[in-house]
This record gives sequence, structure tokens and C-alpha cells, in this order.
Amino acid sequence: METRLRIYLTGVGGQGSLTATTLFARLALDQDLAVVSGEVHGMAQRGGVVESAILLGGWQSPTLSPGEADILLGFEPLETLRGLPFLKAGGAVFSSTDFLPPSSVSAGKASLPSLSSIQEAVRAIAARAWFLPIRGIGAAAGSSQSGNAAMLGALCASGLLPFGLEALTSAIRAYLPAKLVPANLAAAAKGAEWPESR
Amino acid sequence: MNHPLLDPKGTRHLLLGNEAIVRGALEAGVNVVTCYPGTPSSEVPDLFSSLAGSGRFVFEYSVNEKVATEVAAGSALAGAMSLVTMKHVGLNVAADPLLTMTYTGLPGGLVLLSADDPGCHSSQNEQDNRTYARFAQMPCFEPATAQEAKDMARAAFLLARETEQPVLLRTTTRVSHLRGPVEFGSLPAPAPLVAFARNPGRFVPVPAVARMRHKALAANLEAVVRKVEESPFNRADQGSATSSLGVIASGISRAYLHDVLLAENWRDAVRVFDFGLTWPLPVTLLEGFLRPLSRVLILEEGEPLVETAVRALAQERGIPVTITGKSGTLTRFGEYSTPLVREALGSLLGKCPPSPPGGAAGQELAQRPPNLCAGCGHRSVFYAVRSVYGDQAVYSSDIGCYTLGLLPPLRAADFLFCMGSSISAGSGFARVSGKPVVAFIGDSTFFHSGMTGLANAVFNRHNLQIVILDNGTTAMTGHQPNPGMAQEVLGDQRVHLDIEAVVRGCGVSRVEKARALNQKALQRLIREMKEESGVRVLIFEEPCVLFAGRTLGRARRQTAYVAVQDESARHCFANLACPAFRLSGDEMGVDPDLCSGCMVCVQISPSFKARKGEA
Repeated sequence: METRLRIYLTGVGGQGSLTATTLFARLALDQDLAVVSGEVHGMAQRGGVVESAILLGGWQSPTLSPGEADILLGFEPLETLRGLPFLKAGGAVFSSTDFLPPSSVSAGKASLPSLSSIQEAVRAIAARAWFLPIRGIGAAAGSSQSGNAAMLGALCASGLLPFGLEALTSAIRAYLPAKLVPANLAAAAKGAEWPESR
Repeated sequence: MNHPLLDPKGTRHLLLGNEAIVRGALEAGVNVVTCYPGTPSSEVPDLFSSLAGSGRFVFEYSVNEKVATEVAAGSALAGAMSLVTMKHVGLNVAADPLLTMTYTGLPGGLVLLSADDPGCHSSQNEQDNRTYARFAQMPCFEPATAQEAKDMARAAFLLARETEQPVLLRTTTRVSHLRGPVEFGSLPAPAPLVAFARNPGRFVPVPAVARMRHKALAANLEAVVRKVEESPFNRADQGSATSSLGVIASGISRAYLHDVLLAENWRDAVRVFDFGLTWPLPVTLLEGFLRPLSRVLILEEGEPLVETAVRALAQERGIPVTITGKSGTLTRFGEYSTPLVREALGSLLGKCPPSPPGGAAGQELAQRPPNLCAGCGHRSVFYAVRSVYGDQAVYSSDIGCYTLGLLPPLRAADFLFCMGSSISAGSGFARVSGKPVVAFIGDSTFFHSGMTGLANAVFNRHNLQIVILDNGTTAMTGHQPNPGMAQEVLGDQRVHLDIEAVVRGCGVSRVEKARALNQKALQRLIREMKEESGVRVLIFEEPCVLFAGRTLGRARRQTAYVAVQDESARHCFANLACPAFRLSGDEMGVDPDLCSGCMVCVQISPSFKARKGEA
């Protein structure tokens, strides 16, 4: 395969972004793509930032450096903004719009940037962008964590990958516990319909 | 039993580096596995634990790395192919038996997995355990992909059994926690045991034996060198014969080099030495690679070990090659990356492509440090200790989730070295400073190496307040069993040890126990003992809130809310700083989704109230 893609994923500990990373890496392998993914475990599990990477088409490094990502998936908008230096100019961004405030913000010691300022920063570097309320979509589909499938649904339907939404729906059926499948399928379908932000 | 890791030859799975190591060990026929968990190594023993029902091997969570290594070594003496796993700093604990078992050799074969952590993602230092390969004289494998993690694990066991020399399998965080496709080899029956032949002249290293065995070790390593020279894990690619620039890359740097050559289209500009089995040094192979070169770049994270060895080799054999190693952006600190490799290689090629521009995050963003969970018993204890001692005491911390108590407002950590140091370093500090010292230690850490410090504190009449934070599990690394865990959770394979009985057995007469979420009891006991001297131990019990939910099946029965917006609520908000607290505008509240129902806030401030039932 000629297409080589590097995807940077970022979210908050406990959100399930590592589960989403693994699901996506497995589905890519099922599409016969060369795939490597990387993640860091440990302290991040206690509510810290969780970053991971998926590299398709022959890359070997399990991690990304600034300016290398073709695609950024931000499972939380503050983390989208924090991760933006990893995106290369002209890349694509898929970001949640549902904030999970860090404790410094909850305690009133720091403040969150506005969603519109985050969208502006994204547009300054990215050629294409999707903004989805993944927790809301997930909650409507049956569980807030299934919102991660909405993010993957939007990505798979974007035309940026060498495969489409069917690859995701079969991976959800194959790899997620049976009781989580309906909510994840519903969320993936909702995400796939989500309009690109112009 | 059915498990993807037991699938037949030819199957392909996407595996974590650590999962691939498990498969490689099974393909070699591993008989015995011991460990002490620690990030980034923990998935290896946890998987073996879940596969123990296959009956292919014997497995144990040992109480520390020295014990784990000795149990594995004893098993290997009795003829078992043995694996012991740990994180890098664990090898310091295990170094004592290790540096002598390489002298005696181990007939069954032993592989030690050391998962290093350059960049300190979850560790107190970034020591390079390849140094131990040289120090203890162990062959050292350094995988860079998931497939290699599997293949090298298998090869490490076969080499250990064939040569009877212990072998080091060394990963880093990136390798342990990458995922990639792995093609399975055949899964034979477990290895046959090698019968033990009594031989005190080899296995009892009194000085006369030890002197002889040191020479035997050197001779055995000579034999290993010949295998390293021919190993498929060391590939000298002579590439384009016109290039006089070479790169020797080891560990995960090989992946970074691969991607830089791919992205910049530099594949034909350099010759590459892919260095996977890195010790003992394949000198003939290296010499053959270096001879035609005018310049060579060495890529290795951590200490300049390959670099120093290559410099020595070039000097010894008169090879006129200019060697570039640690210099400029390639340092001994942290991790390497594709930009660092591109810059180093680009400057040697006379090409300096600019780093790709990335997006801008803009202003200083609110930080998101890891935090103690909502409902964590440690937070309650730290709050109580701080309300009694404030800044009068010095806080000696230890390794576990509770290290996170260092952050304000709890500020419950003033110093820390390693597993178990809270009690012994606290003893020394108290003796010299004359200040009250409170030492915090968790249950698993207490069994790991707190008990010896406690015996010493009693024996030498130290003056110390010890607080044992007993959450009933090894929480930070993923809830592995330890001797303090309840018998009903441990099952019939393991036996519960009572912490209070151990403490009293070590000679401590002043011991009290309370539930960690009971503020009144905590503050009363802490206040009482503050007036006393000698070694005093408080044991505060509360199951880890994550463990209680997942394993013990405990559900919350109530949640807290802020009923009155007053000074007392503000005090609790600021000093307990529970992650479930929410401020909207000036109004304080509790996020009902995050509240665990621990009700510590309700005990601290009458302005917080409980609401029955699920929120």
C-alpha cells in the first residue's frame, strides 16, 4: 500500500481512548494494512492526559513527534488544543466538543479556553476538521463511552482512510463485548453522518 | 483453555510488546514465571496469571524482585526454563542474587525481563539496565517491534538453556507498550526439566569456587560471542557500496531510524547495522561493518554503551572511522525520536531538512496532572495527617498511588527514593533533624521492602510515626495480588498475611488500626500518637476505590452535595480537593457522576450533605 498515515490520539484517563486506539489498530490490521500503535500506561490512568498513536502503511515508530500527524483525534477539546502541535500543516482534526475540566479548573484555579478559540486554532493549521459532541452522542446511543465510536465513525466515513465505515462496524462486532455492540454501532453511525465543519 | 495467545502456528494477532513476550516464552516452553509488577513490565505477569489455568507453567506474584529472581533461579537450578519479570529499578533490588548466579550458571535456563523507562513515564529514574548486562555478564536482547519481542523472547530462552547462562531481555516503555502484528510460531509442549546433579564445587560459591566460576563465566561468554556473531538479530546491511556513512542502531532507535530513512528517502545514503542482540559484542561483525566506513553514527537511548565499546574496538583494531555518538541533540537524557535522529543523521549527510511545522496550542493551558481518585482512602488519610501535623512534620513517602499525595493541597511527600525507603530514610531523617517524621507506605510496598526497614527502626530505637495505607491491593500497577490482600480475593492458591501481626512480630508495641474514610477516628489516633515517641504504627484500611468497584463488586449507596455555600464548605473544597468537586462561577458543587460516595467531605464540613441512592 502506498498510503502512509500517522494518527495522533489524545484524551483523558478513564475515557476509553486506549480501547479506541486498540480497536482501530485491530481493524486496520484486518484490512491488511501494516500497522503499529503505541501508548503509555501507568500514572496517566489516574485522570491524567492519555496520548496514543497509530501508524499505518509501513511506519515503525510507536510514537509521534510534533508536526508528524496526518490526523489528530481529540477525545476532549482541551486535549485537542494541547495536542495540536503534533498535527502537520494541512492535516485533519476530529475533536470532541464536550469538555472534561481538569481539577485545577474545577477548583477555580485555572480556566478553560472557549470552544470557539479551540476551533479557531484548529482551523489555523488543519485543512479539514470535524467537531462532535461525543459524550452526548454516546449518551444518546446508550453509554457515554460509546461516543468514542462516533469519533472513529466520523474518521472512517471521511474518505481520508483506505477503508470505510464497514471496516469499523465489523470490528465493533468482532472485538467489543456483545452487550456494548448496539450502542457502539449506533454511535459509529451517528458519527459517520456528522458534517464536516466549514 | 482458549486464549488468543495459545492459538496455533501461523496465526497472526495484533499484540502489545509485552503480550508478544508472553507468546515467545510459551513458544520456548517456559516452565516457571515469577515477577514483581511494575510499569512498564506489568502486562507480562498479568497475562501469565490469566493463562495459569493452561497448566503449561507455574506462576507466582512474588513479594519483591530479589525474591522473584531467587525463586526463578532456584527453579532453574531444579531444571525449569524460568522467567522473572520486573521494571528497571526492580533489577537493583534483584542485583545481589543476579551477580552471582551468572557465575554458577543455571542448567534449566533463566531469562530476566527488565522493562526500562527512559523519559521516566512512570518511574523515579531512567537508569539504563543494559549496564547490568555488562556488569553481571549476561547476553542482552533488545527488541524494537512486537514481532521481535516474541521472536527474541523465544531466542533468549533457547540461548539460556543451551549455554546455562542467565539472559537479559531488555525492553523500554515504547517497546513494551507498542502494538504490532505478530505471526505465531509453533507452540510445543513445555520444556523438559534438566535433572539436577549435585555439585557444590559449582553451585556453592565459597571463595575458592567463586574464583574458578568467574573464569568459567568468561569462557562461557566467549562461546556466546560466537552465537552473537551469527545471530539473525544482528544484521549488517552493506546497502549501497558507495556510501561511507554508517549507522549502528539499537533498541527502539531502530524504529526511529527506519522511519527517518523512509520519510527522507535516505535509504541509499547510509549503511545500517541493525543491532538487536547487543551483548556480548560481536566484534568481528562490527569490525567488518566499520572497516569500509569513514564515519559512523551510533543511535542508542540512555548511556553511551555501544558507543564506548565501538570507540574501544576502533582503537584496538586500528579502524580509521570517525565515530559520532552522544553529542548535540543526542543525549543521555530521555527518549530519542524521529526529529532527533533526522537532525543527527541530516547533519552528517550535509542535509538539514527543517522540522515539519505543527499547530499552535496558543496560551498556557490548564494542566491535567494525574490525581488520587474521588473516594480514594489515601486522600482522607493525608487530609487527617495534615490537619494534625501541618508543616510541623516532615513527610517521608514511598512508591505507589499515594506518591500522588505530594501535590497541593495535600502536600504529603517531602522525600522519596525507592520501594520501602519511607521507613528507613524516615528513620535517618528523624534521628538527625529531631523533627517529627511521618512515613507513608502502602500494603504491597510494606511487604516488598518495608518490613526490613521496620525491623531496623525497632532494633535501633528510631523515633518515627509510620502510617500504613492498606488499600488491599497493588493499586498503581493494576491490582495484582500481594500478601495483604483478603483471603477471599486471593483464593486457595495464596495465603493472606495480616499486616498488624507482622508489625507486632517485628517488635512494635504501639499499633492502632482504623478505617481510612473515618475522619474522626483518624484524627483522634494521629493526635494521640503525636504525643508519643519511638516507633508507632497506624494502619489505615480502605479498599482501593477502583478495586472495590471492579473486583469486590461494591456499589455506592449515596453521593454528596454542597448544601450551604459558606466558609466551611470553602475550607473543605480547598483542602480536600476531591476530583469530584466542581466550581461553576462562585458556586461549589459535587459532580454526581464522579462522586464515589466516600462521604469524607460530609465529615469535614457540615455544609456538605449526603443524598441517598444512586444520583
